[in-house]
Amino acid sequence: MAGSRISEQLPPLIDRNQSPLAFGQRALPRLAAELQNPELTVRQGALAALRDLIHDPERAYETIYHGCLERLKVLLKDEDSSIRTATTEVLYLLTAHSVGREAILREDVVGCLSELLDEPVDACRRNTHLVLKMMSGFPAGVACMVSLGLVPRLVMKVAAETEDIRELVLSTLGSCMRVDTQAAQAALASDVVTVLREQLTHSSTNIRREATAAMIAISVPPQGKVKVCEEEVLPVLVQLLSDEDLEIKANAAGTIMNTAVITKGKFQSLQAGALAPLLHLVECEHRAVCANALRALTCLAEVPRAREQLLQHLPLLQTRLNHPEPIIQRASATAIQVISWTP
Amino acid sequence: MASALQPYNQDPNGAYVFSSRPRPAPTRLKYKDPAVIQNEESYVYGNIMYDRRVVRGNTYAQHTLPLRSQPDPAELKKQQEARRRALARKRAKEQFRLLTPEAPEGRKHKDVQTELYLEELSDHPEDASMGCQTDAFLDEPATPLFIPAKSGKDVATQIEEGELFYFDTEVQPVLEVLIGKTMEQALLEVLEEEELASLRAQQRAFQELRNAEIVEVQRLEEQERRHREEKVRRLKQQREVLENERVIAEKIAARVFAQQYLADLLPSVYNTLRDQGYFYDPVQRDIETGFLPWLMTEVDSALKKREIVLTMLDTLIYDVANSRQET
Repeated sequence: MAGSRISEQLPPLIDRNQSPLAFGQRALPRLAAELQNPELTVRQGALAALRDLIHDPERAYETIYHGCLERLKVLLKDEDSSIRTATTEVLYLLTAHSVGREAILREDVVGCLSELLDEPVDACRRNTHLVLKMMSGFPAGVACMVSLGLVPRLVMKVAAETEDIRELVLSTLGSCMRVDTQAAQAALASDVVTVLREQLTHSSTNIRREATAAMIAISVPPQGKVKVCEEEVLPVLVQLLSDEDLEIKANAAGTIMNTAVITKGKFQSLQAGALAPLLHLVECEHRAVCANALRALTCLAEVPRAREQLLQHLPLLQTRLNHPEPIIQRASATAIQVISWTP
Repeated sequence: MASALQPYNQDPNGAYVFSSRPRPAPTRLKYKDPAVIQNEESYVYGNIMYDRRVVRGNTYAQHTLPLRSQPDPAELKKQQEARRRALARKRAKEQFRLLTPEAPEGRKHKDVQTELYLEELSDHPEDASMGCQTDAFLDEPATPLFIPAKSGKDVATQIEEGELFYFDTEVQPVLEVLIGKTMEQALLEVLEEEELASLRAQQRAFQELRNAEIVEVQRLEEQERRHREEKVRRLKQQREVLENERVIAEKIAARVFAQQYLADLLPSVYNTLRDQGYFYDPVQRDIETGFLPWLMTEVDSALKKREIVLTMLDTLIYDVANSRQET
């Protein structure tokens, strides 16, 4: 009779492409040795087995402990494209764990990955960009990427890549610029604003969303604001305020609010007619959209001409004072205060 | 020795039960058939003293059986050697025995064919071929089922439901394991995904808040900067105005003072000049500087002349007087 205790181990998966796993502690050293094998099928099998193992954090730690990263680095330069694709996939699964990310930084795998940016095989490139996206989520990773000079290269890749990879590149750029100011400087030096402006009018929603997110990140440092004003991005953003996707609206309003902090930005936004759509967005229920719109109106209200117009819409803003979210309450209170200010 | 282990039998009372009882070895009766012995139930026990199988007498010269059932390897080798030697001898003997006796001296063996002509043995017996073939497409009638005659006893067995196992109760743990495992796995995956999703949502919420707060901070900074610059500019302007005013006031004061100071400058200057004789009547000056000195010098010279004359006169008079006196 079968016992009713469920074992800790996963049910055995018989996949012919995977090399068989040795028992217990011996599994990973054996896989590590197999990765160096000159036979192609052996290496492929080892990579397939590793790919399934590495979901478990314990196994990921063991992999790093047994020095598999060195072998993986060598495999990144392998001639066979399926090996390269599988290696990048393993690296992507490794970045899901924090030990993996630290180890990748320590062993300088990002340098080897940057050579794969020009890879002809799509899947391999996609995995590479996934790894870079995960690495750009935290400051040490972004510092590493900036020191390797990856930011300008990524900016150039935006226009050149296919759609789904372009999303990843845009999101990587966005997080880099958000996390580290040096990255923002480097990106500004390579005309990122021009590149992003072209992507703002793309037909795919995802790309527009990522592009606007990157825009809002680049408009935080002062030079970014100046650049945004110079490149005449504001009319496009005002158009995007009427887009269907909520996140795009929130990001566009956010960029406008960031740019309107400087005087030039204020005047350009008013010229582009940002007031009416922003007032419309204040009524939206989505927290980000509402908050960004309120803040944008606050910044624009420092211009006397806009203040006159906005004084008529004060009741609308006052309805927002009773919103349950504290941020919206504060934003609307500040907006009302600024609008009602007299010299 | 290597007998299969027989199952352990146990008497219901608990006493041990043999599967084969030990018994003494039966003797072979000399004058009875083996068939008779088989039918006998009781065994005939013989006297051990008269049993030919028992060894008697001194043992040091006995031909003993080998210790193991297999013959001793040394013995084996000796026997093999003996056998091999016998074979060799036989083969050698064979070789020496020729098939035909050797030719006596002076003669030689020669192969000869006795028949003059070779005749092929072409004595074939008469043979005739006969063929036979069954009709090809005649259907064979169905062979009747061969049912062999029944022999032996029929025994049947049938496992009724519920005798081996009860499916419903037995399947429960199996099902539990299967479904439990699947559900657990699925739950783990869903949990992981939910965790990731909630992490992302939290991150996004944080980002939104951060964006809003950053812009507020920047706006206030900007405002502060503008106000400060404005203030600085205004202060500068005010200071300049004050400075200007002060300069102007000083200028005015200086001007007034200068005016005052210089008011009676002119008369005093004129007075001083006049006192110092810078304003003069030219004729008077000319008289004073030119004429009068000349006059004086002339007067002086005239007076000097007079004096000289007088002195001379005096001396003359003196001389005269003296000379008169002397005379």
